Amino acid sequence: MPNATFKSLATRHESVLVLVIVFEVILFTMLGRNFLTGPNVSNIFRHSVEIGLLALVMTPVILTGGIDLSVGSMIGLCAVGFGMLVNDYGVPPGVAAIAAMMIGALGGSLNAALITRLKLPPLIVTLGTFSLFRGLAEALTKGAGSYSAFPESFLALGNSNVAGLPVQLWIFFAVAAGVWLLVHRTTFGRSCRAIGFSPDGAHYAGIPVARNTSMAYILAGAIAGLAAVILVARIGEARANAGIGYELLAITAVVLGGTSIFGGVGGVTGTLLGYVALAILNNGLSRIVAFDLFGQPVTSMARELSGMLTGLLLLLALAAGVFTKSLVTRRARRQTPATNPSPTPPS
Amino acid sequence: MSGRYFREITVAAALGLLLLALLVFAPHFFQFQPLVTRLTSQMPALVAAIGITMVIITRQIDISVGAQFSLCAVVAGLAAAAGMPLPVAMLAAVAAGALMGAFNGVLVAYLGLPSIVVTLATMVTWQEVLRLWQQGRLLNLPGGVQWFGLGQSTGQATIIAVSLAMLAAAAWGMKHLAAGRFIYATGTDAEAARLAGIDPKRTTFGVFLAMGALAGVAAVLNLAQSPQVQPNSGDGLELKIIAAAVVGGVAISGGRGTLWGVLPGMLLLANVNPALTHFHQPPYWEKAIQGFVILLAVVADGWRNRNARL
Repeated sequence: MPNATFKSLATRHESVLVLVIVFEVILFTMLGRNFLTGPNVSNIFRHSVEIGLLALVMTPVILTGGIDLSVGSMIGLCAVGFGMLVNDYGVPPGVAAIAAMMIGALGGSLNAALITRLKLPPLIVTLGTFSLFRGLAEALTKGAGSYSAFPESFLALGNSNVAGLPVQLWIFFAVAAGVWLLVHRTTFGRSCRAIGFSPDGAHYAGIPVARNTSMAYILAGAIAGLAAVILVARIGEARANAGIGYELLAITAVVLGGTSIFGGVGGVTGTLLGYVALAILNNGLSRIVAFDLFGQPVTSMARELSGMLTGLLLLLALAAGVFTKSLVTRRARRQTPATNPSPTPPS
Repeated sequence: MSGRYFREITVAAALGLLLLALLVFAPHFFQFQPLVTRLTSQMPALVAAIGITMVIITRQIDISVGAQFSLCAVVAGLAAAAGMPLPVAMLAAVAAGALMGAFNGVLVAYLGLPSIVVTLATMVTWQEVLRLWQQGRLLNLPGGVQWFGLGQSTGQATIIAVSLAMLAAAAWGMKHLAAGRFIYATGTDAEAARLAGIDPKRTTFGVFLAMGALAGVAAVLNLAQSPQVQPNSGDGLELKIIAAAVVGGVAISGGRGTLWGVLPGMLLLANVNPALTHFHQPPYWEKAIQGFVILLAVVADGWRNRNARL
């Protein structure tokens, strides 16, 4: 039935997001200055790729029904660790980058151990490490210090192009492909979903719950380390306050992408679209100068406006999720009266 | 070991030990006026912590508290600067907070959306609304606002007394009033609460409403301590009070904890920084130590749960 396929396509989260993105592009091309130009499109992604990376690895974490609030602080800690190794110990940037990812993986293991071994709620564990990692970064830099002596060849990683695209975008593509395969083509991804639906059910089905959950958090930490290195390469400085608030943007991208915050449902494609929608919104608003709001040109308020719209967009996406879910369950109930709507696990 | 108030007593003992160490090694920590000023400055967070404790016991979370607090402070500041009488300005702040709390409450309780994401979204929204509106301006308050026009020492005493009275009243109410028991029941098992004739949706809504109103009260108590209103006075408040509640023994999985633990929890975390200063240690370890204390509290919970299961 073509009608039914159309309906299912139209109610799919990804389709709605594609429409949102198309709408954004049209709007900003009309209102903005130099929006749809090569350099600006490069810029959109150059300046947000760290958030994209975090959103990618946040997806399996949220699929297991967990959350990781510590990734933003992890960026601060890894950035400081990286800067320290390169500046104070003369470690080559390549080796230091691997070390930064290992610091991240180590931090992720701490989260994972507390969550899986002691069976503590991820929200509160990562809230604690959120403070701890940022605090360690501040302690290592004695509050306000920063590292900025990096070789030119390393800074090129953050500021030059390969084959017409920013270097970090190629890295992002590689990570995105890897995470997509992990989530959609391996037992790890399947396990994450199963755990998100019901950890006990997954356990009885023979899935190693602790191991898979741990992997999700360790992966998140390692990629946060990579994002830290890319961030340092772009801004040329490693500071303790790197990445403040990034965890919220990453979570926003994931939820906007249709992954249920309760776990079990969602995927990487949605996350990618959610990230692109956010990145375009953020950049596009800074290109508009056509009209005034509250007696100020829009450009000077771009940051606040995009933050506000991000919040509203997230609320809308959530409400839309509830609405379509109730539609779907109502339809399912009409067709097969015996089917119960799947119970929502407690948050 | 597993006495009913074991956790509350442990945290109070830890705070006592810290204060004792300060008394022996850094007695100037206890100089009267600085001590009172430090204590007063913690009172707004304590009032907000009453709200977050109720929210967490209901098995929800609210991370928009800081943004609510900032917005309420600006509302009260603008009202006072516009020449309204002080009580009206204070009421306006509380009403603004209650309104924002009700917004969270509707989305969480009646639409069934997860509170962590709802309040994440409202946090960002309120923060940016405030930035758009105020553009980071510092607000100067008219003369009669600081210390409610009572002078510093009376003003400080008033703030401390009001805050502690609210804490005591809320702690009593949560134990002895029906509404307080509803909060524990909803957080322990919402479905069982519903079958027992409690309306968990209304309880959840009410808790978020109270959280918003308390953020407004906290903003007023903070406003009265300074001649100006910072445009971002509430930044980070949500984490501070969640940490205080968790350290004080409020279980993040809902249904367990008391306000009597939150008071020493809050004071313990708040004294890390002054203690570092008085022990002549570098202050930049503050956040790391706070994070460590939170994790310690969480791990203690984990061990307790594990032992309870065995």
